Amino acid sequence: MKKLLIASLTLFSSLCMADIAVIAHPATADVSLDEVSRIYMGRAGNLMPVNLPENHPLRDQFEQEALGRSPAQMKAYWSRLVFTGKGRPPVEVDSVQAKIEFVASNPNSLGYIPASEVTDQVRVIATIAN
Amino acid sequence: MVSKIKQLSLGVLLACTASAAHADIRFNGFASIQGGTTLSSSDRLYGYDNEIDFKNESLFALQTQADLGDRLSVTAQLMGRGSNDFNAEFEWAYLTYELNNQTRINAGRLRTPFYRYSDFMDVGYAYDWARVPNSVYNLDFNNLEGVSLVRFGQLGNVDSSLQFIVGSYSGTTNITPAPADLSIERVAGVTWELTQGNLSARLAYLTGKLTMVDQDGQLTGLLEMLSESGFADTASQISIDDARSTFMGLALGYDNGSMVLSGEVVRARVSDSVIPTQNGFYLSAGYRVNSFTPFVSFERRDNDAKADIYQALAEGNPFRERVAALVEEFAIKRDTWNLGSRYDFHPSAALKVQFSSQKDKVADRRDQLLTVGIDLVF
Repeated sequence: MKKLLIASLTLFSSLCMADIAVIAHPATADVSLDEVSRIYMGRAGNLMPVNLPENHPLRDQFEQEALGRSPAQMKAYWSRLVFTGKGRPPVEVDSVQAKIEFVASNPNSLGYIPASEVTDQVRVIATIAN
Repeated sequence: MVSKIKQLSLGVLLACTASAAHADIRFNGFASIQGGTTLSSSDRLYGYDNEIDFKNESLFALQTQADLGDRLSVTAQLMGRGSNDFNAEFEWAYLTYELNNQTRINAGRLRTPFYRYSDFMDVGYAYDWARVPNSVYNLDFNNLEGVSLVRFGQLGNVDSSLQFIVGSYSGTTNITPAPADLSIERVAGVTWELTQGNLSARLAYLTGKLTMVDQDGQLTGLLEMLSESGFADTASQISIDDARSTFMGLALGYDNGSMVLSGEVVRARVSDSVIPTQNGFYLSAGYRVNSFTPFVSFERRDNDAKADIYQALAEGNPFRERVAALVEEFAIKRDTWNLGSRYDFHPSAALKVQFSSQKDKVADRRDQLLTVGIDLVF
């Protein structure tokens, strides 16, 4: 049942683009979307961004809407930094649920999830509305 | 109680040692497989001739990074180039110490940051062209052994990346047709990259002391004869001995997600030597349509030979002809047009097709090249 729900949610989000909530540990202050984008591009180092696996529809949507780049462009962007010792891509977790748990237990971390899946373990610090 | 504490601290110590021994090691890699041929039997360009060749520009690289904890990590990149029969060499090998979130120090074998794309010029996946523009990216020495400090920061809403580097290089190059031993001592440089939204700009300034000695001794022999025959001035104007060298580069870029514009202009000077001022620039424009990025670019390389070296010799001087021939070998005037497209057909691979047409105004010839290649990152 749960799997079906996730599958249909995934389908739903890829069809009509859900709102995205940027979440952090409850103790974290608000961060502007500009800053979130900077953090996910590895240009600001105070918070630790958490990513979803490559090809995850929500990751593709987030990168397109918040960072303005396609998956291939993001890969090219990181390959410029990874092979030169200038930066590392964000850590990846397998699922939205794993991301919520990671962010809830790491005070300086930051993630993005579908706005509809926000729990009280985390705090929404910014929203990308569609 | 005491013994328990001892046991506990021993346990902690063992745990720490174990975690250090099992450092977090990650592997990344990239590869390019590129095939090409010139369009007519007399054309020669970038190592290609009229026979289809898959070796010339192909390469494989594997990078390993070991995180040693406490902000220290070690990175090594092993690369095999087709042009070197895929013999693997360490292209990079350095340790990184993160002073803080904004500042990191790299020490070891590093890429010399002459150009905007120096750091990742071998990672074809990182750009749209089949190769970085040769009119600008043409120095034979891309690496050095030394120390670099990179500082990231923000100036208002502009992202800044400032790099200082010191080091030295020794290797071989081709001076005139003959190979030469080359060394650059006391390399010191600074680069500054600024990014705001879709715009980026980069400045580079490097200096060093360049020495070149030709291996077959022809140049050295000529210089000795000149000195012995009373033309020591001419000899010293030619010789490349601890010559003060400077490099300047300016790059601008614009990328709004669909439109990709870039340009770079460089100038290199080697004082008191036969090597003339090296000038080069390129302009490139591309447009992303879904997975395709067609582009067009123009490059120019324009080096005037230091004719005053031989013009200072009298018309009847027995050395004049040889000196003139040597000096004029350093004149390079080439214009190149490139037309091509990148196609992102896979999340980790891009297919590229590029046509290049180069006009050599010194040799008065045109060479045309077509290449098809795949660039991967993994």
